[in-house]
Amino acid sequence: MLSRVADDVYWVGRYVERGIAVSRLVDVTRHLELDAGTEDFWAPLVGAIDLAGDDVRFYLTSDTMNPDSLVSCVRLARTLARGIREAISSEMWEELNTLYGSLAIPTTTSRQVRGEAVSFARLVRERLQSFQGLAESTLARDEPWHFLELGKYVERADDVARVLNRQSHLLAAGTRDEDPTGPDVVRWLAVLRTCGSAEAYARYYSLRVEPARLLEFLLLNPIFPQSVRFSLASACAALDAVAGLRSAAGNGAGPAVRTLGWARAQVELTAIDEVFERGLEGFLTNIQLLIAQASDELSATYLRDQPVPGRLVGVERATMLMAAQQQQQQ
Amino acid sequence: MTTDPRTPTAPTYAPDGFWDEMFEAPGRVRPHYADLARRLATLAAPDVAKRQRAAELSFQAQGITFSVNQDPGGPEKTMPFDLVPRIVRADEWARIERGLEQRVRVLNLFLHDIYHEQRILRTNLIPAELVLGARGYRREFRDVDVPLGVYTHVVGSDLVRDGQGTWYVLEDNLRVPSGVSYVVENRRVLKRVWPQIFADYRVRPVEGYPQDLLDVLRAVAPGSDDPTVVLLTPGVQNSAFFEHAFLAKSMGIDLVQGSDLFVDDAAVYMRTTRGRRRVDVIYRRVDDDFLDPLAFRADSLLGVPGLLATSRMNRVTLANAIGTGVADDKAIYAYVPTLIKYYLGEDELLPNVKTYVADDPSERAYILEHIAELVVKSVNESGGYGMLIGPHAPAADLEEYRARVLQNPRGYIAQPTLALSRHPTWSVDHLEGRHIDLRPFILYGRDVKVTPGGLTRVALRSGSLVVNSSQGGGAKDTWVLESDAC
Repeated sequence: MLSRVADDVYWVGRYVERGIAVSRLVDVTRHLELDAGTEDFWAPLVGAIDLAGDDVRFYLTSDTMNPDSLVSCVRLARTLARGIREAISSEMWEELNTLYGSLAIPTTTSRQVRGEAVSFARLVRERLQSFQGLAESTLARDEPWHFLELGKYVERADDVARVLNRQSHLLAAGTRDEDPTGPDVVRWLAVLRTCGSAEAYARYYSLRVEPARLLEFLLLNPIFPQSVRFSLASACAALDAVAGLRSAAGNGAGPAVRTLGWARAQVELTAIDEVFERGLEGFLTNIQLLIAQASDELSATYLRDQPVPGRLVGVERATMLMAAQQQQQQ
Repeated sequence: MTTDPRTPTAPTYAPDGFWDEMFEAPGRVRPHYADLARRLATLAAPDVAKRQRAAELSFQAQGITFSVNQDPGGPEKTMPFDLVPRIVRADEWARIERGLEQRVRVLNLFLHDIYHEQRILRTNLIPAELVLGARGYRREFRDVDVPLGVYTHVVGSDLVRDGQGTWYVLEDNLRVPSGVSYVVENRRVLKRVWPQIFADYRVRPVEGYPQDLLDVLRAVAPGSDDPTVVLLTPGVQNSAFFEHAFLAKSMGIDLVQGSDLFVDDAAVYMRTTRGRRRVDVIYRRVDDDFLDPLAFRADSLLGVPGLLATSRMNRVTLANAIGTGVADDKAIYAYVPTLIKYYLGEDELLPNVKTYVADDPSERAYILEHIAELVVKSVNESGGYGMLIGPHAPAADLEEYRARVLQNPRGYIAQPTLALSRHPTWSVDHLEGRHIDLRPFILYGRDVKVTPGGLTRVALRSGSLVVNSSQGGGAKDTWVLESDAC
């Protein structure tokens, strides 16, 4: 598979998943506002950017200048898909293409203007999920599929880690509080919903919202597909598949395999009490940094074919370290 | 078949003195169109509009679109599609096929000659400076032996019919002809939105084109038993990008851009997720000029440095070969009947349109004097650009082209304005005659194969003679009949 094509497939996977995440965030925040509408829930979503209320909603759904807005995700995914139609199925392409086309239709736009951002976001999310479903049922399990999966799960792990990180102060505080107050429950439920996980959580823990359980569920659950652990395991499986093909052709698998594996090990081999012991925020930040590093590394090796042979770097570096140490001993 | 076709769908249809493909006289349908005319008669206008819209949506959803200008975020348009198919009789097609085959063989013999011994340039049949001075002539490609002696693996020649119904070759496209994806897609869409009309006819299929093309590309590979074939596209901003993706996907080959390829140790490789992979044949849809920044335009971002040198060593095959543009230069076109005589000792089976070459002093004088009756064309342009239609042009344009011809005689030719044949075409709620042409596609590998049909382009504006999609043209499905028995 061409490196350029793999690169674009990977990013189609990421933008589609990102669009779904943004859509959920808009949806949930709107509900949060209706349930406990005493404060502005929108402003914290955009952090340092000085926006509030409806402006944030517009920024997240329809602002073409925001590269992470819902419409931008759709446009970027569709633009990339157009150039790699030979690598994906016609059904997948047509789903993205007609979705993109419908964004330009005045009735859709006017709905956004009339403040129906939520139903708009939901509509887009359903189409993006349908795209993922079509991929699942129409793509052969070879390289394009693996890169699409890789993009999807790297993005998902990153998105969930980011949502948790944004609320980490609240969650960390809550663990010390035996009886969480009403508004906090609403907020934690919102976190679950943002990650599309409220129902599954309820099945596990009968919707008794306790921060530690909630975190354990979203971070460390091995079988729920929205958890960070599940996402990283799936991303690793996809990367292993393409790394195997590359190794079989006599080329190095690159450092991304180890970096992503390291991130995965963090969520696989740590218990939730240890997470809190080490500090939730630091733990989540570390996961996000590892994901970003792995993404860069896999780009270099697979998507730009600038081979950075991982093992050689390791050996070379070890040799240098050893040489430096020997000099000290003289 | 002489029943009255003045049906609700065609109450006012009149051939207006042009050669009409469907009507031999007002109210008299040609026999091979009789069944279609009956179908059309049963159709109410809203029904047609509904099908027309279904076809439009289908093209839009599949993204069978071209960028209107160079703006990356700009609008993408579909080529307008007319539901009424154009029908070509089997015997008529057989003649066209033979004529095209003769032409393509001769053009390849000509190319081989001028890039090797140059025998024809030592006769007085064609001025040597016309050939060697042509913009499409590539000295860099002299003395290269291309596999099977084939230079033009894919050809799209434009055919027209005049007021008497005689077929002419209007021009040959030997570099990177496009449009074949519309041939296949128009058929698919018509079958989807209006399957009933196929019931009365046995139409030769066009689906096989991608497979035939792949066979040709594999046949010209340098040496390898299992060659790797790729399609080189300029990129998504190219107006034919849909076609590039369509062909690559249909053939199951990689669609590459210049940056995906590199030359190392006299071989071309592509960058893949598994490492480098050797490439044997490149079906390139990039013009010569942009193919190799080391050999041609140094500012090209679309090419592959070292590609020319590698192909000169026959370590990679380019389809079409480098330097074929000389043979579709419109001034050299005028000499094709001479070439047929010279190389094959035959008369041409498909005639040329009478052409005045401005480079020749007496023909130039004729052009300047009769410019208001002629179509003047720039020799290297295509897509309906760089062209003057004398009878329809304002005086200022005539003056401008007179000046242009005088200033650069080698750059222009002129032809009489043809009364292009017309075809009933849907216009809002009734049929009207519109001028059409036909671009068949000819593949040349081990032998010559003409795809049955081709792209019928139609000038949708009333009275217009320009069929190019960039200039408001549309397309029709083109049916070649299995036999004329019906």
